[in-house]
Amino acid sequence: MIHLGLDLGHESERAAEHWLYDLVQQLGRPAGAVACTHLTHRPVPHVAASLAVPRGAVAAELLAALPPVAPELREAAEHAAAAHAAGRGGRATVFPGVERLTGTLPVAELLDVSAIERVTVIGGAPAGPDTLVDTRDHVRPQWRDGVLTLVTTPAPGGRIAPFEVPNPTPCCADHV
Amino acid sequence: MGHSHHPHTHPHDHDHDHHAGPSDVPPALDLSVPDSELSPADVSRRGLLRGAGLLGAGVAAGSVLAQPSPAHAHGDGGQREAKGGFHWLAGDHHIHTQYSSDAMYRVVDQARHARANGLDWMVVTDHGSVAHAKIGVEKVNPDIRAAREQLKDLLIYQGLEWNIPAAEHATVFVAPGRNEVAVLKEFENAYDGSVVGAGDPTPANEALAIAGIRFLGEAVRKRRIDGALFLANHPARRGIDSPHEVRGWRDADPSVAIGMEGAPGHQAAGLPRATAGRARGYYDNNPSAASFPGYPLESYRTWGGFDWMTATVGGLWDSLLAEGKPWWISANSDSHVNYLDTAQRGPGGDFNTDGRYPDPVYGPLLTEAGDYWPGQYSRTHVGAGSFSYRAVMDGLRAGRVWVDHGGLISGLDVRARVAGDRRRDSGTPLGGVLRVKRGTSVELTIDVDLAGTPNWSQFVPVLARVDVIAGLVTGPVADRDTFTAPTAKVVKSFEVGKGTGRVSFTYALGRVDEPCYLRVRGTDGNRSAPGLMGAGVDPSGPAMDVIGAADPWLDLWFYGNPIWVLPS
Repeated sequence: MIHLGLDLGHESERAAEHWLYDLVQQLGRPAGAVACTHLTHRPVPHVAASLAVPRGAVAAELLAALPPVAPELREAAEHAAAAHAAGRGGRATVFPGVERLTGTLPVAELLDVSAIERVTVIGGAPAGPDTLVDTRDHVRPQWRDGVLTLVTTPAPGGRIAPFEVPNPTPCCADHV
Repeated sequence: MGHSHHPHTHPHDHDHDHHAGPSDVPPALDLSVPDSELSPADVSRRGLLRGAGLLGAGVAAGSVLAQPSPAHAHGDGGQREAKGGFHWLAGDHHIHTQYSSDAMYRVVDQARHARANGLDWMVVTDHGSVAHAKIGVEKVNPDIRAAREQLKDLLIYQGLEWNIPAAEHATVFVAPGRNEVAVLKEFENAYDGSVVGAGDPTPANEALAIAGIRFLGEAVRKRRIDGALFLANHPARRGIDSPHEVRGWRDADPSVAIGMEGAPGHQAAGLPRATAGRARGYYDNNPSAASFPGYPLESYRTWGGFDWMTATVGGLWDSLLAEGKPWWISANSDSHVNYLDTAQRGPGGDFNTDGRYPDPVYGPLLTEAGDYWPGQYSRTHVGAGSFSYRAVMDGLRAGRVWVDHGGLISGLDVRARVAGDRRRDSGTPLGGVLRVKRGTSVELTIDVDLAGTPNWSQFVPVLARVDVIAGLVTGPVADRDTFTAPTAKVVKSFEVGKGTGRVSFTYALGRVDEPCYLRVRGTDGNRSAPGLMGAGVDPSGPAMDVIGAADPWLDLWFYGNPIWVLPS
């Protein structure tokens, strides 16, 4: 795999992951590609990104045409690439099988059809292979200890659901 | 405290040998004595002390460790009936009206419900914003003054929900007076993160937050207002209130920055509903670039309806208490739009031009709303010396505060005492400091008035268990981003064996050789899980609330503020 650090200084994960999604499309959706967002404070709080693609899966000229990283963001981009490569950090927004993770499916199937290697639960008992995952059509696993891990929490009806909800409440929501 | 100046008090005696006795604390320092009962000379002295930032629990050096004991203020019976020597006044410091861009009710709508739901005091905290700073903060004041006239038995403070520069929101409110609007307006225009564009988590913006709190303290010292208080709202919701910021606010002026919401409002938001469920307290965020990187994912959810900073035994709250820093918790409604109400915003109008929405009109049943009326579910109980604006603020500042959800209990009197002392008005209450000679035997007495009447869901809650949590006071931390307290743990759990009346428990600390603090919590026992620091620290703590399946009436807790015991 080639691990590339990318960084356009996005303020939010949502903006960064839209950009990453489009980028992967432009690269021809190479099989095995994993694109991650990374929260960073280097040099100011923002969202960096990383992209891993199998060697040879993308033409060299296409990779060379990736948007340049501004000098002040290079450290963050390099850190993102290193964390991704080591499996220490990064929240995957594009990864093999992500398109299969919709609706509700058992943990075993989720592990089988996607690159996710582990499902953990916080605030509840560990999940078994038959535990149903309500994906909410929004699954964002993270690199932890070298393992692409989906962190979940208990959900209604004895199910579990990804910790990250697709539409978190804004800080001054109109609560009507 | 000096009971001698209280001509009407019962002539009880205090144990001068074992803790700071009554005569050690002059009346001006004793916040349980309302200003109205002080001599003119003492009023003046209190003003000076307050002006110098020397009044309030543990305020002098920013720690309970480094000062005599103005915090040792226990109550006197007074001429009116008062439990444990205090008038326990229930309130809510976080309420929105039609002057908030995301709310809708009139001031009097909120006030009438607050009073009907049993509250004695409330704070109007409309969101800081350009429109609010320009228009709303002034326009809401006549409504508040009219509501004060209409509801004489309800204390209604004006405040605002401050967008803390670089951080979350906070309640800021002031004592009523001729400058209440002027001070709030000046504060909002100069220090609101939204108004001045200082939301990003930069060192400069963090410094602006500190300056804002100091401004409020200055306004009190200059006697423009009689009092100003700050409480951090929903502090763990988005992970952007870092531990060093919390410490920074507190240390900027402990007579102003007194604490945080132990439990957020929006407690109906987690109820199951037809649409995709939300989180209790609307705590459904993820870490963002602005978040403090050290906070775990667990911090972004509520636990038994409480904020992770409070709910975690051995967590952030305990880390402040272990430093000897007074830092209190509260509970509130954050009422914007209330669950199962039948109102909607009135038609027409323009918020940005008018600074408010038109008065509400009759509308469809609000099954998707996430809030309760003030006092309907969450209450903050303050031990006040009298029914007055100043006494409630003094009680809050002194930490004589406990909070409950759903009317789990109706009264709580917790005192640290020299072992065996059971006189009615001895002992050190919530928020206080008991100073004893090293080796003195000390007890914590807990008197709980069980719920005798139905709550606002029309059932009588049943208390199942009371936990005592204790930790050693280990002094200042080297790293101001510390958010753990390794010695804090549940030291005792009492099962409650009856359903009505009063239950009393005693926890014996034994001979006290090291400075420590104690706090209590209780639960209906419906939902529990081992605490985040492990079952050895908290075997049956609050469980994480499930998004879309959190019925707040079936998971009730109360929490008391701490009491310190300092041997010397």
